[in-house]
Amino acid sequence: MIEVVLNDRLGKKVRVKCNDDDTIGDLKKLVAAQTGTRADKIRIQKWYNVYKDHITLKDYEIHDGMGLELYYS
Amino acid sequence: MANRTDPAAKSIHGTNPQNLVEKILRSKIYQNTYWKEQCFGLTAETLVDKAMELDHLGGTYGGSRKPTPFMCLILKMLQIQPDKEIVVEFIKNDEYKYVRVLGAFYMRLTGSVTDVYRYLEPLYNDYRKLRLKLSEGKFCLTHVDEVIDELLTKDYSCDIALPRVQKRWTLEACGLLEPRRSALEDDFEEEEEKEEEEQAMDSVEDDTHEKNYYRGRSPIRERDRDRRRDRQYRDRDYERDYGRGRERDRDRDRDRDRERDRDKDRDRDRDRERDRHRLRDDRDYGRERERERDREGRERERRDRERGRRRSRSRSRSRDRRDRDHEDGDHRKRRTRGSVSPRRRPEDDGSTRDEPKKKKEKKEKKSDGTDHPDPEIAEANRLRASLGLKPLK
Repeated sequence: MIEVVLNDRLGKKVRVKCNDDDTIGDLKKLVAAQTGTRADKIRIQKWYNVYKDHITLKDYEIHDGMGLELYYS
Repeated sequence: MANRTDPAAKSIHGTNPQNLVEKILRSKIYQNTYWKEQCFGLTAETLVDKAMELDHLGGTYGGSRKPTPFMCLILKMLQIQPDKEIVVEFIKNDEYKYVRVLGAFYMRLTGSVTDVYRYLEPLYNDYRKLRLKLSEGKFCLTHVDEVIDELLTKDYSCDIALPRVQKRWTLEACGLLEPRRSALEDDFEEEEEKEEEEQAMDSVEDDTHEKNYYRGRSPIRERDRDRRRDRQYRDRDYERDYGRGRERDRDRDRDRDRERDRDKDRDRDRDRERDRHRLRDDRDYGRERERERDREGRERERRDRERGRRRSRSRSRSRDRRDRDHEDGDHRKRRTRGSVSPRRRPEDDGSTRDEPKKKKEKKEKKSDGTDHPDPEIAEANRLRASLGLKPLK
């Protein structure tokens, strides 16, 4: 179980607990549940790499405590 | 400048009509080439021409969330705000299905609740196919009535958040709308008549069967019961036309009597006695007497059992329906096999039905992880379960 921090630099900073074999799509659902936006409006990035929905966190090498950028589409 | 709303336009749902489409999506549409080229300086008339050229529905697609022309036209309509008559014309037009859906969507966004139901529900009868663009960019098949259903029941469609509408039954309760008449209701009535004909042979057992139908007291059942009663009164006209006559009158009288004296067992029994006597007069006397004796014994047992069951069990809707279905099965089986002992079957089913349910509930709890000692993790697991994800490791 890892904990990921997502920050949209506009005031929304969210800590989400998830498994490392969850996909980015699942992570978006969890974030949507916590922030109240819709899951399909969320975009998760790291610098200019937009993370794709079907790849797991483990494959993206997202570890415990790592920060990701939260954008909206 | 071209993106500003018409200054003469009214505000919708308390805001600038273009704000019904959220900010990010709106900016995407303004930057879209279709909007810049085709939607510049459109009026209500020229909008119709553009709408006729539409060939697919959809929200945004692709990695960069590109909007479809359908969305651009919706935003254009919000910007120029055509009159209600024009929108109703869009909906009523039969030839161009995409124009229809465009009008329906606009009505759903901007119309009052009664208007929404009144104009969109007739479109349930339109079964034509539509092309829907998914968010991956691929097309998929859908139908007009599916789209309308989505508009009326969900609160998000084509990447636009739809304004809230009240549920239909609330409006019916307020008297703003009439109860829904489905186009399939006539078909259902015919089917029901056929069923009643078949069961007219065993109309005494039919008694208790229909009685279970009417016994429910929950408000939802009340509404259904009212609807069924209305349908019965409508049946009367059908029956007069088909001339099915006396039997049907008797059924109807029996139903009416039953509904009136619903709570009194004795009255119901009296009715049944009366009807049984009447039946005996009409039918073949010898055959009837043989079956009567078996049936009476069974009836009495079943009546006692039901009374006991009614008092002891709490009434949940699904279980009632299951009871009813089981009784249906019992009726049919008993008709063919006359000598099966009736007491055993329903009780058996009752006990066995409860056990598998309990076992399933226990299993679900364990695999969910929602009973984890740490409350935070339990909470997280509960959320994950509601989203359809496996619990945390």
